[in-house]
Amino acid sequence: MSFGRTSVLLFIALLIAAACTPAAAPGASTQPSPSAGGAASTLVWYADTSDLISFDPAVAYEFTGVLLAHNAYETLVKFEGADLSTIKPALAQSWDIKDSGSQWDVTFKLRSGAKFASGNAITADDVVYSFQRVLKLNKSPAFLFTDIAQLKDSSIKATDPSTVVISLPKTASPQGFLAVLTFTIGSVVDSKDVKARETGGDSGSGYLLDHSSGSGAFVIDHWTKNSEVQLKANPQYGGSPKPALGGVLVKHVPESTNQQFALEKGDADIARNLGAQQIAALQGKPGVVTTTGNSLQLVYVGMNVTVKPLDNVNVREALRTAIDYDGIVKDLFKGGAKKVQDIVPAGLAGYNESTPFQADVNKAKSLLQQAGQTAVTLELLVPTGPAPGGVAWADLAAKLQSDWKNIGVTVNIKQTTQAELLGTYRAQKGQLVMILWGPDFPDPDANVGPFTDYAAKSIAFRNGWDDKTIAAKGRDAALITDTAKRSAAYKDITDYVLHNGPYAVLYQPTEPFGLRSNVKGFAWSPMDWTDFAAISK
Amino acid sequence: MRFLGFLLKRVVGIAAVMIGVSVITFAISHVIPADPVAAALGDHATDAQIAQFRTEYHLDRPLPEQYLIYATGILHGDLGKSIRTRRSVADDLADSFPATLELSFAALLISIVLGVPAGVWSAVSRGRVPDYVVRLLSLAGGSLPVFWLGLIVIGLFYYQLGWFPGGGRLDTFVPPPPTRTGLYVVDSILAGDFEALRSSLVHLVLPAVTLGYFSTAVVARMTRSSMLDVLSQDYMRTARAKGLAERLVIFRHGLRNALIPTVTIIGLTFGSLLSGAVLTETIFSWPGLGRYATASAVSLDFPAVLGVTLLAAIVYPVANLAVDIAYYWLDPRIQHG
Repeated sequence: MSFGRTSVLLFIALLIAAACTPAAAPGASTQPSPSAGGAASTLVWYADTSDLISFDPAVAYEFTGVLLAHNAYETLVKFEGADLSTIKPALAQSWDIKDSGSQWDVTFKLRSGAKFASGNAITADDVVYSFQRVLKLNKSPAFLFTDIAQLKDSSIKATDPSTVVISLPKTASPQGFLAVLTFTIGSVVDSKDVKARETGGDSGSGYLLDHSSGSGAFVIDHWTKNSEVQLKANPQYGGSPKPALGGVLVKHVPESTNQQFALEKGDADIARNLGAQQIAALQGKPGVVTTTGNSLQLVYVGMNVTVKPLDNVNVREALRTAIDYDGIVKDLFKGGAKKVQDIVPAGLAGYNESTPFQADVNKAKSLLQQAGQTAVTLELLVPTGPAPGGVAWADLAAKLQSDWKNIGVTVNIKQTTQAELLGTYRAQKGQLVMILWGPDFPDPDANVGPFTDYAAKSIAFRNGWDDKTIAAKGRDAALITDTAKRSAAYKDITDYVLHNGPYAVLYQPTEPFGLRSNVKGFAWSPMDWTDFAAISK
Repeated sequence: MRFLGFLLKRVVGIAAVMIGVSVITFAISHVIPADPVAAALGDHATDAQIAQFRTEYHLDRPLPEQYLIYATGILHGDLGKSIRTRRSVADDLADSFPATLELSFAALLISIVLGVPAGVWSAVSRGRVPDYVVRLLSLAGGSLPVFWLGLIVIGLFYYQLGWFPGGGRLDTFVPPPPTRTGLYVVDSILAGDFEALRSSLVHLVLPAVTLGYFSTAVVARMTRSSMLDVLSQDYMRTARAKGLAERLVIFRHGLRNALIPTVTIIGLTFGSLLSGAVLTETIFSWPGLGRYATASAVSLDFPAVLGVTLLAAIVYPVANLAVDIAYYWLDPRIQHG
């Protein structure tokens, strides 16, 4: 039997049609509405949003998810703009910390008349539901409640429709807890709405993955996966400032050159991921301005003290002393980074301004001699891609390699993906590891704990540094409620770690942004978000 | 009947390839010296969260058992859950694959529409200026890195001239058409949404040209080569001797016979277009499979990597099957042989 041409052609057409038809309906999570008010009243935000997983505040722990959840939900308390020194009222109009003997009782009074975007009134039951939901789901950010605040279901109570009392054990820091509550994990969700959308005991996380149910300045209109997220202003929003624009369109544009072009052409209002090259290219361009935001990240080299000769404090001090920090900040990052050598970043309480190290080759060599070392060879693990601040990790590693060569230390650079590097680092199998750290909540304890407490199985553990005295001092400092005394305690701790710890803190990056010159009110918080409501154009 | 038997054999072959690919990819993705848990949970995860994660993804089971769980899932249409996106891999693929398919089809169309005539023109003008021009452009197409070409194209046609948009699948304020196939061009026609159609077509131009340039060059060179071979055949002389017009001689007798190797190359090219789309998609912010695959690989998202690999393992043999079927149409000897 021979097939006619027509039948064969028909078969090919059917084959192609079948291949074109996906098994499940793809595309937008919800059918998008036309832009909220059009181009004039919509802020167009270009960014690499490939980390976006969910808008659910109990789940989101990535930059984009946190940025969007921050704008779609309100927390009980907040920091305003870039100021992380003063906690301000948000959904809670007031709060009180009481020492009840065996525990701390933190009482929050809710703002009267506050409503969710749905129109439902916000009550203490919503707060209890939201916090207990975080504990039940136990996703990435949940440790802030379970480990830092040591919360349990029974710790969270509504004593009347506008009062919530949260009990903390005496081992938890009430100040640290308030700082945790400023993060998106402290967001209050509309319990009536979310309960109605629960499926299979998921506490509504399936729905909140790509929708919002909060009282923030904006609501999620739609999320077209890998393309864009549209936010619309929430007319019920009772906080301040009220949204100046009708909507925000977050476009996923991974290539920074594209972001630069779009900004210059006026297609983007703000570009989020510009490298040093793009920022330089934008200087003097009409209609465009550049600015920077602070970050709480630190880029550092961890030195594993279980590896000889890094167990010798003089060797570690020699490595720190040999580094040309000024060259890194000024020549490599060209202003995209700040010289910080302490484990608490600038911007947080407890920041230590001391920067005693700067490429002192003679002193470093002398320290090596004191340690009985003349020729040292070590491996430096480095992630792939760009480091915070826009310079390639590999270039930064080459700079360190060159600085350390000056004192007779040979470093072999091994570059791997960050995931692979973290696996090695976590297993205490690195020698020198260059990586970044950002605090989980805006409190010095979020850095001092991981960097000093071996038992916390975080950074001190990864570098095999088990100094029980400094770890105990760190735990004690976290519980001090007097601000001045707490700062003094952290000064002592950070001074000690500076010279004895297994770290060489290299710099604190800043975040560059490109803006159209008509964009007003933009301020980047070191918490890695901005309040879209404050932005106008 | 012969055709159906042939078809059946190919389908069985595709199934065998799928099993082999799934075993090999699964084994490779689980023996690489890196921890997907660290990639997924980041630097701050607690031991309890790590343990919960390992249980959720069956990482605490022996490797053969993990594979059995995975293979059973596939038989039920479940490709697992992505570690990075925390969504079903099948849903992720359904989101991203149509975009890549649309881009690849557009690039393939460019390759055929430009590559075949260019090859014919070059062959019939052998040793003259058109031949040199086509060969030079083909050489460039085979040599220019896609990443570089993409940036040049976007810099010239978007940034400098403003003729085409710089990236994405639609204009900023044009909503996507209702999803039927995931191919915006098709969906906007089905929905009668001509604004979305215009927008999706203009957004296709630059990425499709960038992605298609290499395959256009390959198709042009292959067509030229096989045309030169055919032009020297006796039957071509006979056709001319019969007094046929040169156009008919070239296209009916020459091109028809020269197309067999070209069709083979087009089939192979389609597979490479899908894989070559990775860079193009990054440059043009094209939300396709390539970018999904890259992000998954970098974050050690092995369920997603497996899903992408299986999809690619289907696409290649299906493209080759389409080529084989095309032979039936092009070459009667295959139909009757």
